[in-house]
Amino acid sequence: MKKLLLFGLPILVACVTPVFTSAQSFQVQCPLKTALHPGNGSDQGAIKCQQISGGDGYATMGDGTQTYLFAFGPLSGLSAIASGQPGTLPASAFMTPYDPAAAPDGAVGLTPDLDLVNDPTLDPACASASAPSYCTTGLNGHVDARQIMDVGVMNGNIPAPMMAIDEDDEFFLTLSNVGMIMRPDLFEQHTVHFHGYPNASSFYDGVPDASVAINIGGSFTYYYLAPDAGTYFWHCHITPPEHLQMGMVGQLYVRPRQNRASSGSALLDVWTAQQSDARTRSDCANDILCPSPKPLIDTSFHQGDVVNGHTYTKYAYNDGDGSTRYDVEYPIQIHGFDPSFHFVGMTFNPEQFTDMKDKYFLLNGRSYPDTVQHDPTTNAASSGFVGQPTSSNAMYTQDVDGVSRPSQPLPTIINIPVGGRALLRISDLDVTEYQTLASLGIPMQVIALNARLLRDQAGNNMYYTTNSITLAGGESLDVILDASDTTKYPGGSVFYLYTPQLDHLSNDAENFGGLMTEVRIN
Amino acid sequence: MSLNTFKLFTMRRLLQVLAMTAAALTATASHAATPGIVGPTFNLTAQDAFISQPDGAMVYSWGYGCAATPAFLPTAIGGATCSSMQIPGPTLIVTEGDTVSVTLTNKLPAAAGTTSILFPGFAVTTSGGTAGLLTQEAAPTGSVTYTFTASTPGTHSYYSGTQGDLQVEMGLYGAIIVLPKNVPSNCNTGLAAKNLTAEAGSKESDFRLSHAAYDHPATCYDREYLFQFSEIDPKIHRQVEEQSALPCINLTGCMTVATENYHPAYFMINGRSMPDDMDPNYAPEYPHQPYNGNPHMHPGELVLLRIIGQGRWQHPFHEHGNHVRVLARDGNLILSSTDPITSKLAGPLLFTTTTTPGLAMDGIFYWTGKGLNWDVYGHGYPGDPSTCNPDSNGYNTLGDPAAPNYYEWCPDHNKSLEKAPFGQVASGGPVTLPDANILTNGTWYGGSPYLGPDATVRATSYTGSTPPSGTIANSPTKEAGFAFMWHSHNEREITTSNIFPGGMLMMMLVDPRGFTIDESN
Repeated sequence: MKKLLLFGLPILVACVTPVFTSAQSFQVQCPLKTALHPGNGSDQGAIKCQQISGGDGYATMGDGTQTYLFAFGPLSGLSAIASGQPGTLPASAFMTPYDPAAAPDGAVGLTPDLDLVNDPTLDPACASASAPSYCTTGLNGHVDARQIMDVGVMNGNIPAPMMAIDEDDEFFLTLSNVGMIMRPDLFEQHTVHFHGYPNASSFYDGVPDASVAINIGGSFTYYYLAPDAGTYFWHCHITPPEHLQMGMVGQLYVRPRQNRASSGSALLDVWTAQQSDARTRSDCANDILCPSPKPLIDTSFHQGDVVNGHTYTKYAYNDGDGSTRYDVEYPIQIHGFDPSFHFVGMTFNPEQFTDMKDKYFLLNGRSYPDTVQHDPTTNAASSGFVGQPTSSNAMYTQDVDGVSRPSQPLPTIINIPVGGRALLRISDLDVTEYQTLASLGIPMQVIALNARLLRDQAGNNMYYTTNSITLAGGESLDVILDASDTTKYPGGSVFYLYTPQLDHLSNDAENFGGLMTEVRIN
Repeated sequence: MSLNTFKLFTMRRLLQVLAMTAAALTATASHAATPGIVGPTFNLTAQDAFISQPDGAMVYSWGYGCAATPAFLPTAIGGATCSSMQIPGPTLIVTEGDTVSVTLTNKLPAAAGTTSILFPGFAVTTSGGTAGLLTQEAAPTGSVTYTFTASTPGTHSYYSGTQGDLQVEMGLYGAIIVLPKNVPSNCNTGLAAKNLTAEAGSKESDFRLSHAAYDHPATCYDREYLFQFSEIDPKIHRQVEEQSALPCINLTGCMTVATENYHPAYFMINGRSMPDDMDPNYAPEYPHQPYNGNPHMHPGELVLLRIIGQGRWQHPFHEHGNHVRVLARDGNLILSSTDPITSKLAGPLLFTTTTTPGLAMDGIFYWTGKGLNWDVYGHGYPGDPSTCNPDSNGYNTLGDPAAPNYYEWCPDHNKSLEKAPFGQVASGGPVTLPDANILTNGTWYGGSPYLGPDATVRATSYTGSTPPSGTIANSPTKEAGFAFMWHSHNEREITTSNIFPGGMLMMMLVDPRGFTIDESN
């Protein structure tokens, strides 16, 4: 009752305030051109956009239990997400109205603003000589709320939709709060916290106490110029002990501009070129937080060099020496669920934070053996799930409306081409305890910690080789699994990543499962 | 008022608003440096008392205190006290090279038995006391003296060496700060000196204990804070409270206390849980918890974070807003192995500085807003007179240090955020802010996306309608700082006995130049 008094008042105010035709509560934002990216052929990076829902959903645990989530779901890039890719799109692909058949990755809900098409004077920008294209198409971010609710309600994923951008990108992330259908008592806001962003803006930091949070029925667009390359992550920051435990956690990484180096260019030259711009410079003599010190040793690595029969063009960081190169990359997010808390989260009961104890241990939202395979009945793409992109890799969970939705799109099988290198972008969002992930057979080389290359300010690489890494919630690191030695790691081998915290190798009462997955040399 | 009441508050949001109200009403100017007592000779006691938690619980605890009134630093912090005991114990401030002498007198209940202090990282000799396992101990009513040379600068921990699983839990821990003997000259000249002048421009005094953390030119700082992390399992404290009056003549005490299964309900920064940690230092309502956690800084200031894990659990302490460059662990600078002459730093950049029991670390943090691609000061509107003169790093430091945009990131000067803004800020930017009615404002929201009252009032014509009056902790017309949450990322630990918010949480404010960060309390 008290909650109603506290939150009913602002909502009453919202109801009586006249709604401006130009200010919908649900809307997406993704300009096709900005001052930084005017699209004249010399753009560095691009404009990337994504839309997500904040609401609830269900997931399937390793022991088959259907578990309630507070969760973010995809409202763009649905086809990409279902097949395990990030849901981040270039602006033009995002600003295409969603159609499950013709445009399965377009922004859900996006629909032409017919008022504007009929009367462009409604938007002052349409009066100028260089009027934006939306003045004729009507695609100014106006949405049909019905489609957002149809797709977004209970479409929560764990982990939440993956975001991946490149350095120099402008990223527009729209969060649309569709409400939590199982908790009509809650007027819960949601936010997105970009965890680890350097020099973050408080307004877009997603901490409700420090800035603003989005109410049910509203959309908020976060805006960031991509930070320095690295493995970050993101999560809701409303009542974190509750919302993070309940599953509002996701993956986020920024690719280095070194990836875009032209073929044959020396990586050290690419590093040096970045020093001429104050924003991209890494000057350890004058900036104690310099992210990428100059490598001490010039390895003469060039973009596209072939090592061990593999051609390398992708790196984890602006290393200048090729030492963070990889063939394949796998984001892996560690998490833990307390089944009692999730039950309480669904049934209006008081929540015990002091008693919180994880019994399910998740890699990308799944426990072993689902991390490497899952019961085909949990991807029943047919039962009631109509008209949205499907995937045989995703795990599906039946929700309370009888519809099975893809809840956990990411397996954690690490496939390494024989003689190659895999980058594991590992993050942890557990809310109670530290978690350890160990590698049996193929050692881990830790190259970065907390989205920053492990290199001292004199330029020495401080990478270290280990059999296990330990992370708490709020931490991330990058690991290279180097399978170059084909004698030790021949094609067909299978190795295991697992937790030596043996109590975490379980699915609640099932005594084998939990934090474990496979590394396969192909 | 029993200690074992684990109340399950269903109205946690009501309490959230009430707790935040309390914080806002008491916290006027409570941003404070690194207060402590001055050595090199210290006379400490170990004694019992009750400490307070935000849910109203008074928890029976043990802590170190002062046998007599000591000298305090910084001198400008008013109301300094060191009573019979405090949690954490008094921060001992000495200078590198000092011969430090700490005499500990045991005033714990007889049933507690002996107690002691360990000073990890130092070579300690003792006199008096009785023999213990790890060090010489003070018998009930007796004393022991520890002597050592403060050989390495930086932050160090101290804690009981007797029955550690019980005595550290009960509160017997603290910090030692060793100031460097030779502050490098670059920490007193150039940009460091200009930052000090800039502070004077905001009418601020210098509250630092020193100008560098180590005798190393890359360890200069403009502001400093000490954060100690610990937990309380009230079940343990209740058992000790019940047995504290037992008659006893054993040196090992007469208590039988189960310190496992460990089930903490309170999580503290500097001995206090949120929101109490944001009240002033030496606040009279916490006579045995004098230190606070309420960091403030201006854009561009180098902030030294002295971080210690006390207690028995690790905590992933996450700083929103930027990375921290770790300088040292336990007073040992982390330096490049191939560059010992010019000694370049080799510590990692961390956005989550995990604490480990007994381990102390020093790190540098700053915030400037570099690379946001919009002008956080809301410059660029027609008629805007502001200028930005970039130094070689791109920051506005060449002109008047008292300028309101001193240390602005010039490449973003005048860049607009909003496409068609309300109010007087630059237009033509990439975003449209949503209707304010679909947003809920937080207690520390400055009132607009911009930094400082000038920009905030221009941007929104602030009317004072949100949040409900009385709970504004970051006044849009006076402060309008950028708030960032600094907290344990084991999110369960930002609760106080099942209530959110609480526990290991504090708000860090990046305040505009011109707002006075008053660290005098």
